[in-house]
Amino acid sequence: MSETSPEEARRIAQGARDRVHFEEEALALADQVYRVARGVSRSKEEAEDLMQETYARAFRSWESFTPGTNLRAWLLRILTNLNIDRGRRAQRTPDQQPLEEGDYFLYNRLEAASGESDEERILERLSQDHVAEALAAVPHDFRDVLVLVDIGEFSYAEAAQILDIPIGTVMSRLHRGRRILKQQLAELAVEAR
Amino acid sequence: MSEVDPCDWCEEAIQPYLDRDLNETDVKKVKQHLAACSWCEKRFKFESGLRRLVRQAVVEPMDPALKAKLAALRLEL
Repeated sequence: MSETSPEEARRIAQGARDRVHFEEEALALADQVYRVARGVSRSKEEAEDLMQETYARAFRSWESFTPGTNLRAWLLRILTNLNIDRGRRAQRTPDQQPLEEGDYFLYNRLEAASGESDEERILERLSQDHVAEALAAVPHDFRDVLVLVDIGEFSYAEAAQILDIPIGTVMSRLHRGRRILKQQLAELAVEAR
Repeated sequence: MSEVDPCDWCEEAIQPYLDRDLNETDVKKVKQHLAACSWCEKRFKFESGLRRLVRQAVVEPMDPALKAKLAALRLEL
């Protein structure tokens, strides 16, 4: 029987410690990762499946993570790639209808519809349900960026890295995604009344 | 020379401002404009409030059972 050299034993022990450390750090980020998973998924069940696939893959490929870099971004990169692989891109493509209205248009519409002039009162016209429904109606490509930046609070550069798209694409999708969100909100909060 | 209307400029700058993606000069410019223009200030407050609503729209916390499932995916030692 061959004996393990002390050096070899030390190396193995160190590797195990590194791995446990990695796993614990990854699990500690699960709540934050889940927020993004939930944002890019249609249902709670879909988000939970996506989380399990993401963590299974992360734990398997932990050695490809470079210590000292952003682990949350690394996990979200796995998550968004898996989400794309699931073929949800087969969904309808984002409609190309022009969105020409300026950024203030939702405020202006709500103000005109309510006759209110206080911004707090105007904001109160939007319920949590309206926002969740409007967000769900934003096409995926735009929603992914919106969720990473608005909910994940990533910078444009980080979102570009996670989604593996150019930063200019992040900015244009974000711009368009926010306009679509606002258009949906206007329909829900103004036209439906 | 045509000057850009300051409120039009501000309308375009507010999202990058909230994204913390404006350079220092423009951040200063936004702040100065908002301090001087109540019309844009109202809209700015509305936009920040909307951001908060979006953030809260998906804060339904993770199911504790899922957390346990994730921990169970750890490789065996």
